[in-house]
Amino acid sequence: MELQEDVGGRAFGKKPRTMGISPVQTSSHEMSPLHAKFQEIGRELDVMNEKRERLVKASRDVTIHSKKVIFAVHRISALNKAATLEQAERDLNAVRNNQVTRLARELQGNDYWKFRRAFSPGMQEFVEAATTVEFVKNGRLLTLEELNRSFFDIKDAAKQPFEVSIPDYILGVGDLTGELMRLAVSGVAAGQPGAATAVCIMIRGLYEGFSMLPALHENLRDWRMKSDTMLQSLVKVETACYNVHVRGSEYPPEMLAGDFEYSGDDQS
Amino acid sequence: MEMQFEAFRSQLEESGAVRERIRAVISELDNVVRVMQASLLPVHHATTQQAAKEVLNKAKSYIPQLQKLYSQLAEIIRDRPGQYYRYHDHWRNQTHTVVFLLSFVHWLDTQLLLSHSEVETLLGVKPEEFSIDIEDYLIGLCNISSELPRYVVNRVTAGDYECPRQVSAFLSDLFSAFRILNLRNDLLRKRFDGLKYDLKKVEEVLYDVKIRGLLSNQAAPKPMES
Repeated sequence: MELQEDVGGRAFGKKPRTMGISPVQTSSHEMSPLHAKFQEIGRELDVMNEKRERLVKASRDVTIHSKKVIFAVHRISALNKAATLEQAERDLNAVRNNQVTRLARELQGNDYWKFRRAFSPGMQEFVEAATTVEFVKNGRLLTLEELNRSFFDIKDAAKQPFEVSIPDYILGVGDLTGELMRLAVSGVAAGQPGAATAVCIMIRGLYEGFSMLPALHENLRDWRMKSDTMLQSLVKVETACYNVHVRGSEYPPEMLAGDFEYSGDDQS
Repeated sequence: MEMQFEAFRSQLEESGAVRERIRAVISELDNVVRVMQASLLPVHHATTQQAAKEVLNKAKSYIPQLQKLYSQLAEIIRDRPGQYYRYHDHWRNQTHTVVFLLSFVHWLDTQLLLSHSEVETLLGVKPEEFSIDIEDYLIGLCNISSELPRYVVNRVTAGDYECPRQVSAFLSDLFSAFRILNLRNDLLRKRFDGLKYDLKKVEEVLYDVKIRGLLSNQAAPKPMES
């Protein structure tokens, strides 16, 4: 932050020198019109690059805090479910009100798509965290509309509402499947064979939904990678369901736990 | 959940259709740019001022077509406020070449650099509606620099010994202007790094001409001392 301000300071420090209108300043060193124009362009580039840096930083902060929420959700067990979930929701709200709000304030007009690459990773992670919390709480998919509605008081620099774009939402939901898979495997390992079934239905629905979407032009590589990972997660969960189904009846419940702990380690 | 994906599908497909429309314009733009670039090539071996003028006029005659195509792009983007950069990649490369062509023609005409706003004026785009990205403009300028060494060599061969001095003055001015900018490690930076080699080549030609006493007025101020 210090460094950025220093750069900014230098850039603006140039300003009086470059305006070149006052005769006092131009007398010592006549500046060619070309240079004057480039000074102006230079300031424009500096402002742009500083904004990009701030967005990258804000995006990273969103990522870090969203990840913490996801980790917290993974620590949920039957004993602490309500309390942990409540805490996760509170943390998620904090990310929304602090980091995401800060990010949104940098943007206006064309900026959203211009700098999207700078802040998109953070927003994807936030989508992942928000949808994970919602799934654990209510067993359903948080829609983009609901997510954007929760951003109602977040405004960009032009006082326009800030929204998550469809590509970011879709990629975030793609990551959600990985979290769901982990929840299913650890749920089964903890002796809740039902966990795998619920997750299996969810991931299957997501995968089927994804399959009918055209490739995301904005993130082609991510898109392909995530579609592959998604199928892998689905296969893992389906295998877990299969194991519960086929072998579940052979073991008393207390032995199931051990069995799946092993297969969970093996597969992840 | 299904409904949501259905909605995404139709929105993404619509965005894909926008890309298709842009691509159609761009492939036309490609054609115009190519022909315009080809029409400008004879400037390297135009023997008389008159011939050079004709080449420039021929090249300029394509500008209305560029305007038409850029206004089509602007029209597509107009319906999608704020999404200029969502589709920017489609016209980036072409815009580099367009900026190069316009500013090279302008320089040949006037020996002056075409400014960013002049580019927008020439293309008939309104900055608030469809601006030319500033970095695209700068990359286009770097392209002039790579064309100039060849131009200088050919001019000297054709007996124009003043040309290296003009070009060297212009290029060193451009080079020092670029050095004002704090560039990131990106394409523009890479293109800028090539600028000094162009300048060096031009200076070598200037040196050759000068040392052989071919310059008409030896007392002219040395451009390098700017």
